[in-house]
Amino acid sequence: MNRVILDVRGLTTKYITRYRENVYAVDGVSLQIEEGKSLGIAGESGCGKSTLALSLMGYYFPPLHYTSGEIIIDGINISKMKPDDVRKSILGREIAYIPQSAMNALNPTQRIINFVEDVVQAHDSSVSKKAIYEKAKELFESLGLPAEVLHKYPVELSGGMKQRTVIAISVLLLPQVLIADEPSSALDVTSQKMVIKMLRNLMEIGYIKAMIFITHELPLLYNVTDDIMVMYAGQIVEKASAHDAVFDPLHPYSKGLMGSIIVPEEGLRSTKLTAIPGVPPNLKNPPSGCRFAERCKYAKPECTVTAIPLREIGNGRAYRCIFPEDELRRMYAKEAAQHA
Amino acid sequence: MKGYRNYFLTKLLWFLVTLVVAFILNFTLPRLMPGDPVAAIVARMAQGMSNTTGVQAIYEQYTELFGTNRPIVEQFFIYMRNVFRGDFGFSFSQYPRTVADVLRTSIGWTIALQFPAIVVGWSIGNWLGALAAYRKGTFDKILMPASIFASSLPAFGMAIILLVIFAVSLKWLPTSGGYGYDLIPNFSWRFMWSVITHYQLPFWSIVLITIGGQAIGMRAMAIYELNSDYVKYSRFMGIKDGKIVRYVFRNAMLPQITGLALAIGTMLFGAVVAEVIFSYPGLGSTILTAVLGQDYPLVSATTLIITIMALLANFIIEIIYGILDPRIKAAQAD
Amino acid sequence: MKHTLRQVFESGKFVSGFAIFVAILLVVTIYPLLVPEPPLRIIGQGTFFEPGIYVNVYDSISAPHFTLNLDEAAERRIAGRLADRDRGAILTWLVGVGIPESEIDIANTEQLLDQWFSNFDPTVRIPGMTNADRNYYIRLNSSIQGLLSTEDVIIAHANEETASLEAAGTIRPSAYVNVGQIPNVRILPLGTDNFGRDVLTELVKATAVSLKIGFVAGIIATTIGLILGLVSGYVGGFVDDVLMFITNMFIVIPSFVLLILISFSISQEQRGAVTIAVVIGFTSWVWTARAVRSQVISLRNRDHVNLSKLSGHSIAHIIFRDILPYIASYVVMALILQISSAILAEAGLSILGLGPKTTEVPTLGLMMNWAMIYQAHILGKWWAYLPVIIVIALIAFSMNLMNTGLDQVFNPALRE
Repeated sequence: MNRVILDVRGLTTKYITRYRENVYAVDGVSLQIEEGKSLGIAGESGCGKSTLALSLMGYYFPPLHYTSGEIIIDGINISKMKPDDVRKSILGREIAYIPQSAMNALNPTQRIINFVEDVVQAHDSSVSKKAIYEKAKELFESLGLPAEVLHKYPVELSGGMKQRTVIAISVLLLPQVLIADEPSSALDVTSQKMVIKMLRNLMEIGYIKAMIFITHELPLLYNVTDDIMVMYAGQIVEKASAHDAVFDPLHPYSKGLMGSIIVPEEGLRSTKLTAIPGVPPNLKNPPSGCRFAERCKYAKPECTVTAIPLREIGNGRAYRCIFPEDELRRMYAKEAAQHA
Repeated sequence: MKGYRNYFLTKLLWFLVTLVVAFILNFTLPRLMPGDPVAAIVARMAQGMSNTTGVQAIYEQYTELFGTNRPIVEQFFIYMRNVFRGDFGFSFSQYPRTVADVLRTSIGWTIALQFPAIVVGWSIGNWLGALAAYRKGTFDKILMPASIFASSLPAFGMAIILLVIFAVSLKWLPTSGGYGYDLIPNFSWRFMWSVITHYQLPFWSIVLITIGGQAIGMRAMAIYELNSDYVKYSRFMGIKDGKIVRYVFRNAMLPQITGLALAIGTMLFGAVVAEVIFSYPGLGSTILTAVLGQDYPLVSATTLIITIMALLANFIIEIIYGILDPRIKAAQAD
Repeated sequence: MKHTLRQVFESGKFVSGFAIFVAILLVVTIYPLLVPEPPLRIIGQGTFFEPGIYVNVYDSISAPHFTLNLDEAAERRIAGRLADRDRGAILTWLVGVGIPESEIDIANTEQLLDQWFSNFDPTVRIPGMTNADRNYYIRLNSSIQGLLSTEDVIIAHANEETASLEAAGTIRPSAYVNVGQIPNVRILPLGTDNFGRDVLTELVKATAVSLKIGFVAGIIATTIGLILGLVSGYVGGFVDDVLMFITNMFIVIPSFVLLILISFSISQEQRGAVTIAVVIGFTSWVWTARAVRSQVISLRNRDHVNLSKLSGHSIAHIIFRDILPYIASYVVMALILQISSAILAEAGLSILGLGPKTTEVPTLGLMMNWAMIYQAHILGKWWAYLPVIIVIALIAFSMNLMNTGLDQVFNPALRE
């Protein structure tokens, strides 16, 4: 087994609304990523995947608050550190973030190089501007970005270029872990491909050691990441390798998610499209039993009684459902036969 | 630099075109209205109704100077020529003073009052709004309703309330005028002090009104900016809060500057009315006397001057804005 | 639609604003039914009567009298009649004859009069006192004596033939009348104005007229702005360029200047409330036009509009079915803003002497104008101007609240 780069144990974070209500958007999430691996996180919007991305940074600002759990990056437990220490020595250095809409991630009234200077000096104020420029120029060029970009304002860059600039800035301090929150969703197909290629390239040339990729577009995950984690209502409902998650989902929610998209792979074409009816539950007061029960077509009364634990079934696989593995497979097979 | 020059030239052209249109409106609007004051002047001339020699003389002088008996197009050019010479004829209500003379004394008071008041009100308002957006909590909860209330209060309402409290009840400051009525303008300490005390109430009433509206606008802009993606990204790149706040306020300030350019006309109206409440010897009070005295040349000239002031202020703000926002240069360079 | 309305009425800000506004509308509608009196009728002879209950003296003489023996009556009577100026004068005298100021309390009438009677001597001359001052003190003394007298007042009427006075009755200091038995009692909750008109009645009517001006001006401005914005945004191209050129021009040329110029040029006799409203409406459409245009442009290329175009629907159909419903909320917000700024514009114009002609109806602006001309603010006659300012501020405040509420419902980004 390889070295574990990111180890998250029982992480729980909450939003405090302006009516002083607690909304647990990330509820007891545990995950491990080994060196050189990438993890995809999938789910509908509102299921907590973006909040998970924010929470993993270990740096919280209202309305998001830390509740419990641990985040260990390469042996350093960052959830025990003071916020300003996290800011100075962790953010950008150990773990970096690419926001959902990288299009607007850059301050519009600042040249790229000035922002780069601010980033570097926020961690080490002794570095000279000239040194920063040399370093940034080298890094940008190694990622196929012209050095002139540094002297421009964000408005002067195209969408794809802006996105790649943001990625380059994110890895400027060579972080171990990179978290990308739907980095390509706003782009056209060509730019999307370039961004994905760039992210994979980062791993290969060793700028980063592990990556988390968040998206609602499952085909993208299958092509980009090694493992996939499905989230629902703030909890992990399924963990599997990318192949298993797409071709052999166990949790009814994963099943529904995979069913609601077209995957251009042989053998999947015949699968009937089944969008999941309903919306995720309100997390101000989540259901007591299985959180998916009210939308699940296999649900039975026992589902709603007590919280369902995450069931480890070996080989790194796990799922959160009251039904045993073989019974689920039986139900899916029966249903497939009915449709056929 | 080329980008900025293009921007500057566009704005300059725009300023000149607007100025011409404003001239045309100032000239034609009164002549199109059912009560056409110019026609009334001519009619009174023709019927010899103005029998007092003094009044007769003014009307005759006006008719001759502005050629009111000639075709309208010709009148317009005469009007333009006169305006460029600064010759607006005699004031009907303050004869034998000329309109230009009346304006010369009042325009200084207005500029000295309104320009600093709007700038100070704008600055304080933006500062408070930014602070409210950043601090949130109690400060925000007190400042916002106060600002909404202050901006709901009409400008003259604020003026009267300040006047009643500080001049009538507390007697700390004088109630009206630009300086003590028993003084003759000169550069003595006594006169200066009188000017300063008379300045306070009109000044602060305009400042307070301006603060309200600006604070609300700035708060909304700053909240919008604080929630923007670049703030989140900068935070996660480890940049200190203090620096992020500087990014945010600079960016939130920019729309406020354009907002000021567009709202300057409305602000001037409030300020003009506030002048009337305090009988401050500026353009506002000039309009009031002109209206009460049915003094068409004076009304026409005052409104023209206020328009030019507003257009100039707008032009200057736009020019400053162009320097501050790099997006302008980028957009123009393409 | 129903859902949207429910959302709007769940917004606390909107509901508070709406409640204030409805309350104002209700008062404006119901009050005239209860007090059906022409709002500009001059009832008071003199200026600025204080707010209060006015009881007809003539009626109270002939009304049944009741005797109430109340201990403090005499004291209150004197306390009520002894003016502050006289109290000050007494203080000066007492200090002048050597009583320490700390022992004198001018608010305590009984003690003050005791001190006065034991110390006043018309023959004493206090240093620095002029003859006129001395005479004043002598007069003051006799009037205080008069106040203290407990003699009855005799009511007399003149005999028409002999012109001599004949006693018709007496009124004792302990006589009281029941206000309910007096046929003529007038409550003036806000006193009278400089012309002697009931301020409250005038204010209610003025509010109604100002609201009408606001609505007329607001609807005109919104209609013009909406049409220009729709045409400009939907048609685009050259038409858009021209219309936007004009609009931007009128944004920088201050509309109040045009307002002043036009109002001045319409002679006073022709300047009714509606005329003023129309003029305000025609000079304040620019913002609406700009806002509507940018909304229409963002809608123009949406899928549902394109679909409608492809289906061959007429332009009218597209505008009414596919565009207007989407910008309705903006238009409503613009209208609310226009109404409140039109009311303010009228007030400003009236203060500059350019309001509607004064003989028919009052407006909030005209009331301000009158109060200012007669210097109510300097004379301390607060009831002539303060209620007007409060009403204007309340209207504007309620509209601001409604708008903020709507804005938060329709632009979720602003919901903190």
